[in-house]
Amino acid sequence: MKVFLGMSGGVDSAVSAHLLQQQGHEVTGVYMKNWSQNLPGMKCPWAEDLADAKRVAVRLGIDFRVFDFETEYKQKVVDYMLAEYQKGNTPNPDIMCNQEIKFKLFAETAFEQGAEAIATGHYAKTRGAELLCAKDDNKDQTYFLYRIQPAVIARTIFPLGDLLKTEVRALAEQLQLSVAHKAESMGVCFVGEANMKDFLAEFIETRPGKIVELETGQELGLHDGAIFYTLGQRHGLGLTQGLPYYVVKKDMAANIVYVSRNLNARKLWSNQAQLRDVLLRAPADRQIMARIRHRAPLVSATFDADAQTVHFADAQKSLTAGQSVVFYRGNVCLGGGIIV
Amino acid sequence: MIYLDHAAATPMSEKAQRAMQPYLAMQFFNPSAAYLPAVEVRRQYEAAKDAIAHVIGAKGADLVMTSGATESINLAFSLVADDAAILVSAVEHPAVMENARHRSNSQVVGVDQNGRIDLGDFAQRLSPQTQFVSVCLASSELGTIQPISELSRLITAERQRRALAGEQTPLYFHCDASQGLGLMELKVARLGVDLLTINAAKVYGPKGVGALYISHRVRLQPQQLGGGQEMGLRSGTENVAGVIAFAAAVQEAARHLHAEQKRLRTLRVQLQQSLADIPNIRFLGNTKTQLPNFLTLSVAGLDAERLIFRLEDQGIYVSTGAACAASKGRKSPTLQAIGLSEAEIAGSLRLTLGRLNDAENVAAAGKLIRETIIAEQERLAQSSAR
Repeated sequence: MKVFLGMSGGVDSAVSAHLLQQQGHEVTGVYMKNWSQNLPGMKCPWAEDLADAKRVAVRLGIDFRVFDFETEYKQKVVDYMLAEYQKGNTPNPDIMCNQEIKFKLFAETAFEQGAEAIATGHYAKTRGAELLCAKDDNKDQTYFLYRIQPAVIARTIFPLGDLLKTEVRALAEQLQLSVAHKAESMGVCFVGEANMKDFLAEFIETRPGKIVELETGQELGLHDGAIFYTLGQRHGLGLTQGLPYYVVKKDMAANIVYVSRNLNARKLWSNQAQLRDVLLRAPADRQIMARIRHRAPLVSATFDADAQTVHFADAQKSLTAGQSVVFYRGNVCLGGGIIV
Repeated sequence: MIYLDHAAATPMSEKAQRAMQPYLAMQFFNPSAAYLPAVEVRRQYEAAKDAIAHVIGAKGADLVMTSGATESINLAFSLVADDAAILVSAVEHPAVMENARHRSNSQVVGVDQNGRIDLGDFAQRLSPQTQFVSVCLASSELGTIQPISELSRLITAERQRRALAGEQTPLYFHCDASQGLGLMELKVARLGVDLLTINAAKVYGPKGVGALYISHRVRLQPQQLGGGQEMGLRSGTENVAGVIAFAAAVQEAARHLHAEQKRLRTLRVQLQQSLADIPNIRFLGNTKTQLPNFLTLSVAGLDAERLIFRLEDQGIYVSTGAACAASKGRKSPTLQAIGLSEAEIAGSLRLTLGRLNDAENVAAAGKLIRETIIAEQERLAQSSAR
């Protein structure tokens, strides 16, 4: 089969290329150029990543192309992310990138150019149009993939679905791939090694505001701008005396961040979450398992499709507006929605 | 390993390494200190500057030592205001190009198909307002040597015209000689330049060491304030070991200049002949006006970056002017300026010879490069047939 494989320059997609070749596919490696803005003082490693991806493709003897998605990525992912932060939410740009770019624009472009299937180095599995968890529990990425259209999943190959990360690294070493020892990419791809706060500060004008203790109403200090803070966060508040404070509430209009020392503060815990933009891959009306962030443990829950709410058997800490709740039954990913 | 990228970097010569060794630990004294061992270090440092200057026909006191060519170039550009009228050639290194681009009144002078500056275009653009001219001694991508003395004559004539007319506008001539030092005769008086940038890293000296030659006509303002080193123009404790190594390297290169030129020319002919029958190959530049070690070529339709990776697998290291990752996706303005098509730029390779090459490894490299290019052409033909 003609397969277009998204190659990021990392070890996972490199090994995927080899595995697809082994399976007899005619592989074309594709680097998606999503972001190349160089902010002075911030390292954005796209050029190195592109070279790493291409080097592996050339070594394996496969065709290699670059798809330039900068404009679309800026609109669909970066602008979305900035808008969400401005609303006071904590968005997940990786989920948006998979939904809009990797499994939509990339897929469409690949199919137009003659691909019969697409592939990526994500840790997940497919069965027809179903999305299944990867064998490697620790690496499973279905949390980031739950919004992909089933029709695209039906034409997607995840060559690493049945491998452990350790096996992938070992294979890369055995094949003497130049990326065998490359460090795992961390955080949001286009933010690179810079931290999110610095990145946001480049694009969003913010003003300092008050940090207020929830229980007492006492003003404890100043923060750099409410958009930078996430529910449950306890670092970066500049409050260093005594027990840690947690962010429990944000008032975006007044630019106030509320904090508490009480880990049991009611604001921090919740039995249910209101969802929006729910995407169901399969009926989720009975008892389900849910995940409230990547690599969080699965917890028992029920989903009310009419009210678009999810009810947890046990109260959950820091259900964060903008993040996703993803549903599972067994190893099948049923879909999910975004917390309001 | 067969290294064919001497225009990018050269290994430090043993002489240079030996020369710098005592100054790393034993002779570590600050050259500005008052006690005798420090004074001795200062003397050695000044002697090294004299030796470097001597190679370009200048005196040590004419040199400001810097951290490399980029700093030297920036220091040279600091001579004129941001809105001063500036002329640069179309085949300059980014260090010159970016300085020109960040100024409001810069013009780029065209070049011919070999990358040699168009003297007619230059004469036309040289106006009564022009204050600064920067042209490289040799293009870093084509190795094309520029007619610096002829440019200097035009500049001198304009200066004389201004003097006779009572016009006060100054006019300075800077030459970036990063490529060329150690590969050709280089005397500031014969070149007729006011400022000359040189760099140790390209002449088998250490990285991070360069110099700016400044003629007596020129008064620079310090760009880096502090203890007043380098005649107050560039403060900071001197890079004693680096400068001493630079001196050793550049003297060594000067001693063997003619023999090395001849040797490199022979190797270049050999390399060129071994590649000449590749379909669609085109050699860029004219060997009569090129540095002896440059062989830049283009095979339209090829992806040079793929070639680099395939050659690197075989232990051969080369460079390209194509829009590759190493250039952050920017394709060479030099190759655009000499009128190459997109496909020709994408398929360009720069092979630069040097001390790491001999007839044997050049023969081996020629054979492997030829095979690799032909294999890529075949792969492309198959892939487009599918």
